Order: sequence, then structure tokens, then C-alpha cells
Amino acid sequence: MNPGSTLFAKTRSLELRIDEFLDKVAEGGILFERGMVLLLERGLVPETEEKLEQLIQLKERCNQLRRRVMDTLYSEMLIPEFRGDVLRLLSNLYRLLDSIKNVFQDFLIEYSDVVSGQQSIAEAKELVAVVVQSVQAAVQGARAFFRNPEAVRDHINQIRVYESEADGITVRLKRGLFASGRPLEQKLLGRDALAVIDGLADLAEEISDELSILAIKRAL
Amino acid sequence: MLASGLLFLSSGLFLGWSLGANDASNVFGSAVGSRMLRFSTAAMLCSLFVILGAVSAGAGASGGLGQLGAVNALAGSFTTALAAALTVSWMTRAGLPVSSTQAVVGAIVGWNWFSGSATDLSQLSRIVATWVVCPLLAAVVAALLYLGGAFLLRRSRLHLLRLDAGLRLGLILAGVLGSYSLGANNIGNVMGVFVPAAPFPAVILPGGLVFSGSQQLFLLGGLAIALGVYTRSREVMITVGARLMPLSPFGALVVVLANALVLFVFSSQGLSDGLVGLGLPRIPLIPVSSSQAVIGAVVGVALLQGQRGLRQVRWGMLARIASGWVSTPVLSAVLGYVLLFVVQNVFGQVVFEPPG
Repeated sequence: MNPGSTLFAKTRSLELRIDEFLDKVAEGGILFERGMVLLLERGLVPETEEKLEQLIQLKERCNQLRRRVMDTLYSEMLIPEFRGDVLRLLSNLYRLLDSIKNVFQDFLIEYSDVVSGQQSIAEAKELVAVVVQSVQAAVQGARAFFRNPEAVRDHINQIRVYESEADGITVRLKRGLFASGRPLEQKLLGRDALAVIDGLADLAEEISDELSILAIKRAL
Repeated sequence: MLASGLLFLSSGLFLGWSLGANDASNVFGSAVGSRMLRFSTAAMLCSLFVILGAVSAGAGASGGLGQLGAVNALAGSFTTALAAALTVSWMTRAGLPVSSTQAVVGAIVGWNWFSGSATDLSQLSRIVATWVVCPLLAAVVAALLYLGGAFLLRRSRLHLLRLDAGLRLGLILAGVLGSYSLGANNIGNVMGVFVPAAPFPAVILPGGLVFSGSQQLFLLGGLAIALGVYTRSREVMITVGARLMPLSPFGALVVVLANALVLFVFSSQGLSDGLVGLGLPRIPLIPVSSSQAVIGAVVGVALLQGQRGLRQVRWGMLARIASGWVSTPVLSAVLGYVLLFVVQNVFGQVVFEPPG
């Protein structure tokens, strides 16, 4: 096998790993949304617990992929100019997935009864949907960085819009919560629950800031 | 005879070593400096293709220098090359950008002056014109390559990793072409002045191939360049990327390719003949400065990036290069004249054979 084809074979295998990593993070967003909807609508049922188990497995697979990508990039001396940037991007996406899993786990343990009432449940589902869209936009932005850096800007803009929407919904939910006649400890618990969901959109926005710099570096 | 021949060749071999130490960075510096290629791989490929280019295609550019003045005594060739080597060495030490081509041309004019031979002014003006044309042509070629390449890359939407692999392969291929062209074009600087007084007889190789005296000279010169590449070019290669302006890997590929193509244009007998066949003017086959071609190419890429690129170019260095077009040959010619006088009158060596 000539060195050129070896180089391209290694590149292809690494591309597949990065694509799989991004697929898994996107899948994590979907599982989180499905799990939260189940939790809000049906409470702690076996299907909800199953979603947590799936998220834990996804996270482990992503960690393996991230480490393999890191090893290959350094041992094969690939993309020297972007190696550090790519690893930081993958690490931040991994941190986002880890937070998704932690938030869902916290909900199952600490906040399972915190949202009640038709109106609040509908608004909480809306918040989760917007947050998950910000996560998906971050994954799409990362994909664009690898293949089509000029499109990164569009995804960055989407992330910022979703993050701002998530903030707005959170404020609305908090106002409703504190205007209700629920006991103070429930109000405080509800406030924390909303903050951890909204925090996921903030993490996605941090990734968008990084992507905007990477897109400039990647421009020809 | 062979030992004295090699002794007289030492100044040319020194020039070759110096060329390998400095100019190899123009063909593989970007790849090594950006860590896309290991130095050992770059040095091996560069040495191999410089020697190949020198031996197989060195006659064209070397002959162009010969038309300016045929240094017809070995001691004269030694002194002429020594004057050029000392000029390059002094100017480099003074921090001035210097081209070994300009030093060699000046030294040949010095020999003409000392020996009373006429300098072919039309050939001299053609050579001087190439000093200006070479960086300009490199700038135009680089700008066109950059525009075309960027358009294709945007359309192809290659994955970052695949783009990196492609650029890596491209830098190797451009480096190989650049090394071949460097050998073919710049061997004239190293060994051109020794060709008319070549000390080696032609050798018939198995299969009836003739290995001429000048090809043997070019092989020796190529080996000296390779020695320079292995012993001294590593640091230059590692620092070359940041010398003029920061370059992306794609920008680096464009610069290396533009440099290789420009050197090839000024070395290829076939291309020159082809243009004449089309009714176009002949390309003068003479050694040109690869450093100045690289600088021209970098400026060509910078101009495309508008004000941002222009701000990053060190314009003071360009002005100093332009001043070198005059100061280098004048200094070398005067030094050559003085050294020829010393070698002839102090050491009693024949530095030129009277015509007829």
C-alpha cells in the first residue's frame, strides 16, 4: 500500500469516528427530549429510567470516540494547525452531552415532581424543545466546521436565537412559579430545575462562540 | 589533476552547500515549518530531486550564464565562484536579502572586466529583467493558483481531515517539483562558471549513455546542495513560515507551487522552444532566485486578501530586495576583479586564457 492511500485510509477512518461522535451527541439531545416529555407526562416510569440508561451508554461511547480521535490526531500528526481546536471542540461537545445526562439524572432524582399543572408542563416541554434545538444547532455547526466552514455562521446564529428563546421561556416559567401559591421550598426547587435546563442552552452558546473563531481560522 | 580540480571546485561546492542550506526551505520549509512533513522525509526528497534536476536539466540555465561570459580557466572559475560566495556570505551576515544568482552574474561581469572579454549587454539586460520579472511572475502565478484553488475547495466541501491529507500530499508533490526545478535552475549558480573549464572527461556508461563533464560537475554541485540541505537547512525550514507573513497550509501550498513553476519556466528548454514554436518570445534560461520567487508569491497571496493581507507583509524587506538587485552584482563584480588580480599576481595562477 502506498503512503498516499495509507494516509487517506487513516483520514477516512478518523472522519467516520468524528461523524459517529457528532451523531451520538445529536442522539443524546433527542433522548433527553423524549425522556423529559415522558417524565413530565407520565412521571417516573420504566421507560423514563430506560432513557437515562441509554444516555449513560451514549456518553461512554462518546468518551471512547473522543479519546481515539485524540490519539490518532497526535500519533499520526494530522491537521497540525487545527489539532488543538478540534480536540477542544469535541471536548466541549462531550461536556454538553455529559451535562445533558446529568440534568436528566438530576430530574429523575431531585425534580421529578417539580413541574405540575397543564400550563406549566406545556411550557416546560417548550423549554426542553428549544434547549434541544440549541444543542442540535451546535452539533450541526460542528459538522459544518469540518465540511463547510462558510455555513458555520448560520448555525451560530440559530444557537444564539434558541439560547435567547430559552432564557425568555425560563423567565416566564419562573414568574408563573413564584406567582403561584406553592410552598417556598417547591418554588426554590422549581427555580433550580429551570436553571439546569436553561444551562444546557448556555453551554451550546459557549460552543457557538468557539465555532465562530474556528470558522474564521478555517476560512481560505 | 583530479585533486587540483576538486580544490578549484571548492568555492563552487561552498556555494552549493550554502544554496542547499538556505533555498531548500523555499521548497519544503512551509511543509516542515507547519509540521505537515517530517524534516527527514523533506531532506531526503529535496536532495534526491535537486540532484536529479541538476544532472538531467541543469544545462539550460547554466548555458544562459555561459552566454554572459565563458570563464575559460579553472583558477578563474574558482575565483569567480569565490567572489560570489563571499558576497553572499557577507550580505547574509549583514542581514541583507541576497540572491546567489545576482552575485554570480556580478562575479562573471567582474571576470569579463578583468580578462578584457566583452560582456554581452543584451544577455545581461535579459538577466537583469528576469530579476524583476521572476518575483512579479511568481506573484501573478500564486494569485491565480490561490483564486482557482480556493474556488475549487469551496465547491468541493472536503472534510477538514481529507483537505489536510490532500494538502499534505500536495506539499510533498510541489516540494518534489520545486526541488527538481531548483536543481535544474540554480545548479547554474553553483557550477555554471566551471562548465567552460570543466576538469572531468566524459564517461561512457553501460548501455552507451554519455555522462558528460558538465553533468559530472552538476552531480557534484547537486551533492553539495544535498549536504547543505542535510546539515544546515532544518532551522531555516522551521522558521521560514513566519518570515514574511503567516500562511495557512493552503497558502503555503500555493506559494511552494508558484515558486516551483516559476523556477521550472526559467529552466525548461522544452517550454522555451514550445513558445518560440507558437511565435512567442523565447524564455531566457538563466538561474533565478527562488527566495525572491517565494517572496513574490507570498505578496501575490497577500494582495488577494486586501488590506488585511497587505498589512501583514513586511514591505521594508521588499525594498531591501529591490536595492539588492543593484548592490549585489556591483559588490560581487568589484570583489571578483580584486580577487582575480590577487590570484593571478600573487599566486601566479592563470585566471583566463587569451582568446585565439
